[in-house]
Amino acid sequence: MAGKTIRRLQELPSTHLLGTGTPMCAGCGGLEILHEIYDILGPKTVFTNAAGCMSLLSVYPYTPFRGSWLYTAMASAPAAAQGIRDALDILLEKKRIPPGDDLQVITLTGDGSAYGMGLSATSAAMDRNLDFIYLCYDNEGYGNTGQQYSSATPHAALTATSRTSHGYPGYKKDLFSIWAAHRPAYVATVIGAEPLDLAQKVEALQELQGPRLLIGLAPCPTGWGFDPSLTVKIGRLAVETGIWPLKEYRDDRTVHTRIVRHRKPVEEYLQLQDRFRHLFEPERNNREIALIQARIDQYWSKAIDADT
Amino acid sequence: MFRIRFHGRGGQGMKTASRILGTAFFLEGYEVQDAPRYGAERRGAPIFAYIRADRKPINERGIIAGPDLVVVADDSLVPLPAAGVLQGIREPTVILLKSCESGATWRQRLNIKNPIVTLPETGEAEDSAELRYIGAACAGAAAGVLGIISRESLAQAIQEELGRLGEAVLAKNRANALASFDAIKKSAAVNVTEGGSIPAQPYKRPAWIDLPFEDARISAPVIHAGLTSVEVRTGLWRTMAPVIDYSLCRGCWWVCSTFCPDGVISVRDNQPVIDYDHCKGCLVCVAQCPSHAIAAVPEKEEQARKKAVAGEAS
Repeated sequence: MAGKTIRRLQELPSTHLLGTGTPMCAGCGGLEILHEIYDILGPKTVFTNAAGCMSLLSVYPYTPFRGSWLYTAMASAPAAAQGIRDALDILLEKKRIPPGDDLQVITLTGDGSAYGMGLSATSAAMDRNLDFIYLCYDNEGYGNTGQQYSSATPHAALTATSRTSHGYPGYKKDLFSIWAAHRPAYVATVIGAEPLDLAQKVEALQELQGPRLLIGLAPCPTGWGFDPSLTVKIGRLAVETGIWPLKEYRDDRTVHTRIVRHRKPVEEYLQLQDRFRHLFEPERNNREIALIQARIDQYWSKAIDADT
Repeated sequence: MFRIRFHGRGGQGMKTASRILGTAFFLEGYEVQDAPRYGAERRGAPIFAYIRADRKPINERGIIAGPDLVVVADDSLVPLPAAGVLQGIREPTVILLKSCESGATWRQRLNIKNPIVTLPETGEAEDSAELRYIGAACAGAAAGVLGIISRESLAQAIQEELGRLGEAVLAKNRANALASFDAIKKSAAVNVTEGGSIPAQPYKRPAWIDLPFEDARISAPVIHAGLTSVEVRTGLWRTMAPVIDYSLCRGCWWVCSTFCPDGVISVRDNQPVIDYDHCKGCLVCVAQCPSHAIAAVPEKEEQARKKAVAGEAS
């Protein structure tokens, strides 16, 4: 697939490589990202998958992948990627496989692993300049076990473990900056609702070597509480309200790939989701909504200064 | 001991239903166990939850094998082997089914003599926003069939289980539950009989299965072929079907085909084609199609239409 460039939406792949029949929820925003990415990466790939919703993708004897998949514990998916990369390098060096049979190694984890338990292994993989791709599908909580909070949970969201009327008291961890601070080859944020931006980033990272990491916001009908048909609408609103900035880091520089001139008020995004309903009912919590809005506005005023 | 099993699809609130009924039992002075079946439960996929209630302490554990009452929130689950709705039913087991067809029709269709009570569908399935209220309605109907739970305990149980969701949601659920409770009380003349205790003595140990230490290549669950997931027919999860009106489709194809989370929309001759064997009915395509060429049709109607078309063809 390398060398082919997607400039327009019409050039997105029209056949899909990922198998159907997976046990992901109807309307899963994470599966949407994965299938869009897989279409571009192609079948010459091997996945290491930390425990999470997507560890159910391959339940024996079923797999939606065309190539191999390895299931690991929550904290060790990047370490598994190291082992596979080393094995492939040895096979190549000993000429036991021709260069054309080389595979791209991809680590697939949720936010529970990426932002929390697996962060140390990811950090170490970047230190070793491991040549791999990391995809975190971020549904802002431990979705597979009933949406307990993770360090990716946004402020004020209700989760199974933050059930008071204030929701989660903490703030979403800035994983993009933590990853970028390691100065890997590539870091980017993506979302399934912006498939062109996503495709261009996946194509860009395929031209590079070393650690290349993606965080994809995965609207989650089950965990966030919205109708599955709204997955794309909510994803688009996350971008249009500025709460999910689309950006990439390479060559020591972060650039925003989509700057929305007139950002929509964040409440348009919040009020579609049950996890934020307490901000609007029984009465509107103007203070909390204004605080969330202010943090977004502050982020963008800094970001635009830095980009230009 | 009462052994009750709730069957539904992920998102229909069966876990909530079992909690409500369990709490209602508790308020009536019963010892109660209630648990959803954890594992790979997913929105739209068949799931179940179960309750044990007894005046004496309950020592039984695990999944209910022989239920006294089976509550089914979605009648499309009955013919699905994976859902296991009829598993372990005995002669007196009462089946409470949310269905627009009568109990007699279902008895004949399934060739069983069990009492089947149906709770008419009230159009929730047409509106997915209403789906979340099915759970409370099922709990209300189950309480009605059981005959030993008072209206007050039911209302109190709903207050305890759903109070945190705010007054509007609570009121709607309470109204639905009490309406089903009253409707069942009025119409159904069946009794759920308590099953006896299952003594442990005659329980036979399973024959010992020797697992020799094998080479990892043999004993590890290795999948030797790609794309085997297509053997799983997730189309069975669907309650609403997206149907393309090709006279309105502008053939842009990338929208529905790219956004479909499951990738079940492929493009043939510049036109999108939906793979109904695997479409889970999330309806993202319906919401996103720029020319509004995709409509959401209740699965039952769509199946009836397909059957009619097939009949004409043959």
